[in-house]
Amino acid sequence: MKLYRIVLKDMARRKKRVLFAALGVAIGTMTVVGVLTIALAGQARIYNELEKYGANLAVTPAINNVDTHLGDLSLGTLAVGENYIPEETLPQIRQIADGEIRKARGITDQGDIATIAPELYINTEVKGTSVMVVGVEPNEENKIKTWWNVQEGKYLEGTDQALVGAVAAKLLTLNTGDTVTLNGSTVTVTGILGETGSNDDYQIFVPLETLQKAYGKEGLVSSINIRALCNACPVEIIASAINQNITGVRAIAVKQVAEAEMGIMGRMNRFMWALGGITLMVGLFGVVNTMMSSVNERIKDIGIMRAAGASRNQIMRVFIYEAVIIGILGGIFGYLAGTLLAYIVGPLVFQGININFVLQYLPLSLALAILVAAIATVYPALRATRIRVADSFRSL
Amino acid sequence: MLEVNNVSKVYGEGSAKVVALSDVSLRVNDGDFIAIMGPSGSGKSTLLNIIGGLDYPSSGEVILNGKRIDNLAENDLVDVRRGKVAYVFQQYHLLPSLTALENVLLPLIFCGANGRSSKKALDILKKVGLEKRAGHKPSELSGGEQQRVAIARALVNEPSLILADEPTGNMDRKTGAEILLLFEQLNQEGHGIIMITHDPEIAKQAKEIVVLQDGRIVGKINSE
Repeated sequence: MKLYRIVLKDMARRKKRVLFAALGVAIGTMTVVGVLTIALAGQARIYNELEKYGANLAVTPAINNVDTHLGDLSLGTLAVGENYIPEETLPQIRQIADGEIRKARGITDQGDIATIAPELYINTEVKGTSVMVVGVEPNEENKIKTWWNVQEGKYLEGTDQALVGAVAAKLLTLNTGDTVTLNGSTVTVTGILGETGSNDDYQIFVPLETLQKAYGKEGLVSSINIRALCNACPVEIIASAINQNITGVRAIAVKQVAEAEMGIMGRMNRFMWALGGITLMVGLFGVVNTMMSSVNERIKDIGIMRAAGASRNQIMRVFIYEAVIIGILGGIFGYLAGTLLAYIVGPLVFQGININFVLQYLPLSLALAILVAAIATVYPALRATRIRVADSFRSL
Repeated sequence: MLEVNNVSKVYGEGSAKVVALSDVSLRVNDGDFIAIMGPSGSGKSTLLNIIGGLDYPSSGEVILNGKRIDNLAENDLVDVRRGKVAYVFQQYHLLPSLTALENVLLPLIFCGANGRSSKKALDILKKVGLEKRAGHKPSELSGGEQQRVAIARALVNEPSLILADEPTGNMDRKTGAEILLLFEQLNQEGHGIIMITHDPEIAKQAKEIVVLQDGRIVGKINSE
């Protein structure tokens, strides 16, 4: 028979106490596991959201702007002449963007990674009203503007079709099936977009090729929106690579939204960690309390063991074994309860969150619980071994 | 051989000062059977605790087999408890969660039990007449049986000196006599015994009776 068997037998006799101590440990680990699980699911959700924010790189012609100033007062920027980007730069841009993403993420496959959506802007008059017509690559545009939904009719499917923004449709009283004349070419309205709250509401979208032909702008685009696949993608590196290697264009990383969102996430994570830490501390004091009374109850038993030849180290080991068992019980409880907590509280923090069992948190939970139980046990146990054997019998 | 030289024990300080033992000297040869008698509070248990290293004297010295043990550090006292000295208490002091056999095994577990330990523990239980009760917990045993388990536990490390603090104090006369018989048998086998008792009949069995009063030895009676 070994020392740990004595511990097990003794704990079996004190099931309630042991359970109580384990629950004290579980409360702390539950919060930590719950917080981590919610944070992880929340992060996944925010990444998902960010995917929908559209382009995170914008390429525009390197136009010669004349900044007009009056003293310190800026009067805005005056664009000189019309500026376009030749379409033949598109493969080059793709090469740079995909190359940098591959480098950053360590992937080697050869497929297209970034979504690259060129746009051509033409300011024209439709039914006597000035309106912006935008030529787009229908597939690429749709991938970038994930928030688009076609309220009426269909999305762009072929040439000579038009998709009309919600406000533009109302102002111009356009319905699906109506035709619009653009510089002599006729396009048919196939769909009306739902309201987006952006400039898109005031614009008419037609296939790039159709618009280029109608206005004689073959091979030219006004701007290029690029969406790297991931949010951790090195948009700034891609931007500077494009600026260095392609003349006549200016690439800007659009990352304010992502940064703000991730900033909120970061603060939220720190807050949750703090919350988990505090709960763990509170739990620790609870366990110290439980272990203290557990040790006090057994001062006589400790005396018996020492009179029978137990050294202080052996008595400490008895309590460490007990702490480990309490830690394992508390860790398992804490993990299960923490996941349950995340399941209940998670949706209140992030809407539409998807909570999963995170198995990697089980060892973490166990380690944390054992650590808490051990810390809580060491002090009372150490104190108990300092009592003179004679006193441990006398106190009863 | 055990020597107790000018041992005093004082609890508390100032006006709350209580003198439990005052200048007590005692000599116990190997294999002696000594009885300590005296009224309650006369310092009997304190003396026994100091002899066994369960408590420290305020002054004086305790020498066991030529080695001072009164000033030993806790870790060195463990060695004394593991071999030379064993205790039997009035309250038995068995661990309630362990069986009789496991309680007897306890000292061997702390010394590093090996494969033969269980056999040895069972043999000793047989010696005290309890082999049939080996698998019972203390709560399932009578007072006399519990004390036999406690004696078996004391014997398992083959101590040269057994310290017994009123081992029959909680028993009826018949059971007490049986326990006493066991102690006499152990004494004949060569174990030294120091026993605290209130019962003059029991004390008579000892080779020497030491009478304590107010922390002082007021008489030594050689019963032989």
